Amino acid sequence: MPFFKTIRWIVWKDLVCELRSRETISSMLFFALIVILVFSFSFSMDQDAARQLIAGIIWVSFTFTGIIGLGKSFSSELQNDCLEALQISPIPKGAVYLGKVLANFLFMLSVEILLFPLFILFFNLDVVEELGILLLVFLLATLGLSAVGTLFSALTVQIRAREVMLPVLLLPLAVPVMIAAVEATRGTLNGDPYAFYSQWIQLLVVFDIIFTVVSFWLFELILDS
Amino acid sequence: MIAIQATNLSKAYGFYRIFEDLSFEIRAGECFALFGPNGAGKTTLLRILATLQQPSHGQFSVFGQDGVTEKDLVRQSLMVIAHGSHLYDELTGFENLQFALALRGQAFDPKTLKYGLDRVGIGAFGDLKIRQYSAGMKKRLALAKVVIGKPKLLLLDEPYNALDEAGVTMTNLIIQQTLAREGAVLMTTHDRDKAAHVATRGGILQSGHLQHLTREQLT
Repeated sequence: MPFFKTIRWIVWKDLVCELRSRETISSMLFFALIVILVFSFSFSMDQDAARQLIAGIIWVSFTFTGIIGLGKSFSSELQNDCLEALQISPIPKGAVYLGKVLANFLFMLSVEILLFPLFILFFNLDVVEELGILLLVFLLATLGLSAVGTLFSALTVQIRAREVMLPVLLLPLAVPVMIAAVEATRGTLNGDPYAFYSQWIQLLVVFDIIFTVVSFWLFELILDS
Repeated sequence: MIAIQATNLSKAYGFYRIFEDLSFEIRAGECFALFGPNGAGKTTLLRILATLQQPSHGQFSVFGQDGVTEKDLVRQSLMVIAHGSHLYDELTGFENLQFALALRGQAFDPKTLKYGLDRVGIGAFGDLKIRQYSAGMKKRLALAKVVIGKPKLLLLDEPYNALDEAGVTMTNLIIQQTLAREGAVLMTTHDRDKAAHVATRGGILQSGHLQHLTREQLT
């Protein structure tokens, strides 16, 4: 089966199942809303203070929200032994991985796009001029989290304590992405010149490439074991 | 042509040996019925042949392709109907059929898919989500994949479970059609009477060993 058709079918299946059940998106949104509310009531900040701290708050909320979605990515395949069907299908397993990465990326990005206006509202941010760069940071960081998270979601799916093991294994590896995302977001929100924080964006690009390529090659071993 | 050739297959979990030194062959056009008590290792053997598990020792091939080193080629020839339905609850019967066949690299037009559903008696329920299907309907949908997908090797784990009388007859008909196009079937079952209608040979897996049965001994 052509590689790209497999990717397309996996994305289609994940999106249709999620649009009909809304299990993953609703739990991600609910969790993220609570995080935003807790942080907004914990800090009473003026706009300058908000610009210093908000980048960290945004990425704590996005990362942990993303982990909820990533955890469900493969655990949903356990229902009716669908994971077995993926294992024994004569398809390139790398295409399954990329399909899952793309679906997770879309879920996470949709939640981020829905949540970001709440950050603007609750933390009184003025981001109109920086929206383009912010969107680029969100895209790159979300892709990095999705690339490494999808691999660990597959790795932990057969473990009994997978809900615990996924963040334990994923977060140390995702730290570089999170740091780069926080620094790039902070630079953008502070209105710094692009050259001041462009190295963090370049770092995100490098991490995305490394994580995606390495995970792509490892995925078949993980799925077959 | 030899469909399955197993040589000294053994499986153990730690010190617990499920079966040891199983050697057998199934030819194209044959249906092999595997019987045995619960826990004898029938499903484990089926999972090994389906490339879902690796044997501890020994080797097997499917239509000449090695089951361990040429998994991808083996997977192109086989289809499995197992205890799990391999169906997504949020997709309709039609969509599940389309998705399952697409993953085998087989794209069919809606008319063919509808024909498959009609053949197994669930054509009227193609637009229902799987979560609304009964166990028997799920089994029939799995059979629809076989009707359209036409695999060379069919591995069936307890195929008669959850099926009514018409479903059993239909399953046996689909098995016969697989054999007629020079395919092969391996089924595990406890139901000797139903299997006897289609099985050409059989065996009893017990205490880790396989005792072969002739066609006459099956009935």
